[in-house]
Amino acid sequence: MKFSLVEFSVGHPKLVVLLTIIVTLAFMTQFPRMKTDTNPKNMLPATSDVRVWNDEVDRTFALYEDMIALGIVNEKGVLNSETLGKISRITDEILKIKGVAARDVNSFPTITNVTSESGLLKVAPLMPEVPKTEKEIEGLRKMLFENPLFANRIISKDGKTTAIYVPLEKGANGRDVADRIREIVKKEKGDEKYHIAGDPVARDTFGAEMFKLMAIFAPIAGMVMLIVRYLMFRDLFLSVTLMMDAMISIIWSMGLLIGLGFPIHIMSSMAPVFLMAVATDSIHIFNEFYFRFRESKDKKAAIIETMQAVGRPVRYTALATAAGFAVLMFMNIIPVKVFGGLVAFGTVALRILSFSFIPAMFTFVKEKNIERAARGEDISLSRASQFLRGLAGFGAGRPTVTVFIGVVLGVAAIIGITKIVVNNNMVEWFKEKSDIRVADTEINRALGGTSTGYVVVISKGEDGIKDPQTMRYIEGLQRHLEKLPVVGKTFSVVDYVKRINRVLNDDNPRFDAVPETKEAIGQYLFLFSMSAKPSDLNNVVDYPFSKANIWVQLKTWDARAMEEVIRAVDDYRKARPFTLELKPAGIAYFNLVWNHEVLWDMVKGFLMALVVVFIILVFNFRSFKWAVVSYVPLLFTILLIYGVVGFSGKRFDMPISVLSCLSLGMAVDFSIHFISRFKQRLAESPAGSQTVTPRSELITESLLWTAARPGKGIMRNAVLFAASFAVMMFAPLTPYITVGAFIVSMMMLSALMTIIYLPALIVLLRGWLFKGGLP
Amino acid sequence: MMVLRLRRAGWVALGASLAVLALARPVAAQPTADEIMTKAHLAMYYAGEDMRARVTMRLVSRDGGERIRELTMSRRDLKEGGEQRYFIYFHRPPDVRDMTFLVWKYPGRDDDRWLYIPALKLVRRIAASDKRSSFAGSDFSYEDVSGREPEEDTHKLLREEKAGERSAYVVESVPKESGSVDFARKLSWIDKATWLPLKEEYYDRRGELARVFTGEELKEIQGFWTVTKRIMKNVQTGHWSEAVLADLRYNQKLSADLFSERYLRAPPAELTR
Repeated sequence: MKFSLVEFSVGHPKLVVLLTIIVTLAFMTQFPRMKTDTNPKNMLPATSDVRVWNDEVDRTFALYEDMIALGIVNEKGVLNSETLGKISRITDEILKIKGVAARDVNSFPTITNVTSESGLLKVAPLMPEVPKTEKEIEGLRKMLFENPLFANRIISKDGKTTAIYVPLEKGANGRDVADRIREIVKKEKGDEKYHIAGDPVARDTFGAEMFKLMAIFAPIAGMVMLIVRYLMFRDLFLSVTLMMDAMISIIWSMGLLIGLGFPIHIMSSMAPVFLMAVATDSIHIFNEFYFRFRESKDKKAAIIETMQAVGRPVRYTALATAAGFAVLMFMNIIPVKVFGGLVAFGTVALRILSFSFIPAMFTFVKEKNIERAARGEDISLSRASQFLRGLAGFGAGRPTVTVFIGVVLGVAAIIGITKIVVNNNMVEWFKEKSDIRVADTEINRALGGTSTGYVVVISKGEDGIKDPQTMRYIEGLQRHLEKLPVVGKTFSVVDYVKRINRVLNDDNPRFDAVPETKEAIGQYLFLFSMSAKPSDLNNVVDYPFSKANIWVQLKTWDARAMEEVIRAVDDYRKARPFTLELKPAGIAYFNLVWNHEVLWDMVKGFLMALVVVFIILVFNFRSFKWAVVSYVPLLFTILLIYGVVGFSGKRFDMPISVLSCLSLGMAVDFSIHFISRFKQRLAESPAGSQTVTPRSELITESLLWTAARPGKGIMRNAVLFAASFAVMMFAPLTPYITVGAFIVSMMMLSALMTIIYLPALIVLLRGWLFKGGLP
Repeated sequence: MMVLRLRRAGWVALGASLAVLALARPVAAQPTADEIMTKAHLAMYYAGEDMRARVTMRLVSRDGGERIRELTMSRRDLKEGGEQRYFIYFHRPPDVRDMTFLVWKYPGRDDDRWLYIPALKLVRRIAASDKRSSFAGSDFSYEDVSGREPEEDTHKLLREEKAGERSAYVVESVPKESGSVDFARKLSWIDKATWLPLKEEYYDRRGELARVFTGEELKEIQGFWTVTKRIMKNVQTGHWSEAVLADLRYNQKLSADLFSERYLRAPPAELTR
């Protein structure tokens, strides 16, 4: 006799529950070893090309990976002794913060200034002491506005905004430093407004918030699911059992992940929510169990019958979901792989529990309770069932109209999809009114920009950068880049050379240019290095003067901004061919590559999953034709959603690309359930098994039955899912709102598509589908 | 003028002999921290009446990139422990060859500095408000090259211990005016035998170690003990600089006149050797 896990579980429920608890506890022992990694940067391994190259650039030019910008705004202008005093005090305090690379903080009191006063050349900090008299303030104003290195960098054109640039040591947490800076500025009274911006703030805040949200959101979603379930089944014990099903699989998979030594990354922190979503599939078991129990009144028999009826679709939906996620394991990006493996494992665990733990728990429910609850489960009485029957009736009754509407919608969706803009902007992951967004907007409006990219200029050999021709080429490139609206400011070694040339020549504006000889350039740079901070020069040229670094300050964190810069560099190179090599680098470049890689990896995974799921469908139905039909609601849902994304102007970013995978795993479930049960129903009916092609009436009748009974399970699944994910729409981070809205609409849509379109298609294509009998 | 010079020389001689006396005194009583630091200052920066050396500096970045500076440095003391003049002639890097640099150092106030830029054939006076800024792009500051007056800090003798083979006093120095310097605290290991600093640790205002000086090689030249190889490492950036002093000569009778603006354009061989 074949071993049946369900029968064994029903036979030895206590043993099965005990075993489940022991295994769960075993996985739980791993939890104390949990490590977290909130840095989205680690989506790409440290060995990836872009990180290796960026590290090399950072080393070559003694740069800092991360920089925070503190903007200080005074509507009356910052150049007054009071505000300047604050700037000086704040700078002083910032220098004391742990994790701040104090030697290279740039602010009025620390930034290097090159001036000439009555023949005296001065290379020194701009504001070593706070000016007190009007005359001293005028002097400072003059120095600020006549030095092109300062304009738009530490002083805005209108004189109302200044910034303190705070580089961070490697490994420092941007959010912690930002919090310390907030405390410091809080102590200052007055009209000044303070804005803290920069990639590390956004990134580390987002990483931390994401974890926090997962910790808050997952339990809330779980609670909502529990309540909705209770409202559906009116039995607390069973509702809790279903919840436990999800929780246990989450513990197993997270325990496995931790046990294998992986840190929990922002991507894998989403796994519990995904698993909770996948777990809702077990609602089909409950749904059917209630109907069966009503019919047979024997609990054990009902359980076994239920599992026989839904076993196959449940197994295949699990397989499809697991396969959809497992495909991610073949991607390039490690956190994506881990995530895929994690959810695939959890899905398999869920299914094992569906066939063991859940039936075992069923046996503990008092029959009286089930009876009371099951009373409502009559498809002729239930209003929900009647409604679903009506929907399916529309599809089956007017298949041509239904399909025509579908085609029109589909075409519209495809037009929408062509309008999709691929872009990513981490700062926009925060709400418009959030501190981070406001700070970023303010600083970008007044100054050169908070996002930094580099263009590394590589010459053919030592001292190549000192060549006047090279210098002029770089200068030309800077002017070319500054024409882009996204570029706020650029600066390079050329700016220093020009500045010194002018200052040495009695501040004559005619000498605000690259000098004629290599010797002069070499001597100017040497002179500059004699008094300036070492980093001033190191940040813009390498040691042998064979490479130069052009700083490009961008006014937006859009990944596309850096793309524009790269394109502009290419145009310039084509228009003026020269022996220099030009390569992009920096955090803006990293963001571009990172977003691009993760996004396209997900898209690639999504497409592969589409194929794999289709193959599973073919196996499930043992028919290519039925696989095609069952595929339609899934494709149609995805098409419609992305169509809306395209029309709404919402950018196709990383969170959306991650969601695509989930949509696939979930949406296909509904059609598997629907078609499997429909075919079962047909086969069970006495007339169905005899005739080669079932009669239309029989098909229609079976479709309506399917919509009313397993359809209710589908609808319950969708509602449950949507209800719990709707919570996400109240999250403070926009990707969560996106995820929430996306999942709610996806679930509702795919449930509707399944119930309306499958009947329409089956009726319309019945000749083709049933040719050769019922498979 | 002549008289003045004689008088000055006399002072220098007196100062020097006092210093020698101080050095020769048997170490009976424990010296105070202030005494130790004053002696160290004199031994390191005022040895002889004048000095000339060929200095090769290697500036090494975190990932091993190197910049070389080669220069002839001459020094003339006007007053022991007081006013000094430095003349620097650059040999390398090649594009700065013939560049010259003159510093008049005064205790208690800003230096005067002049620089000759060969490409412009121009002498420029350079402001020198910050003695803590980098010397020629290295990790050494101007004060590391020409000395920081002991009076600017309060000193405390912490302990005596071995530094390598040598026994040393460990003195803690805290700047009196904390705002004007980049360090909050300095520990010095002063060699008991030569009074030269064997090691110095500079701590920043957060109390973290920022820079470390080490005297790598000590030689006796014409009776004066000298640190002929020095390393300054910025432990926070990983950048470090090494200065090696070769062809060192004391008491060459370098005239104070040579240390003036007019010799910047065409320095005499005594200052470029």
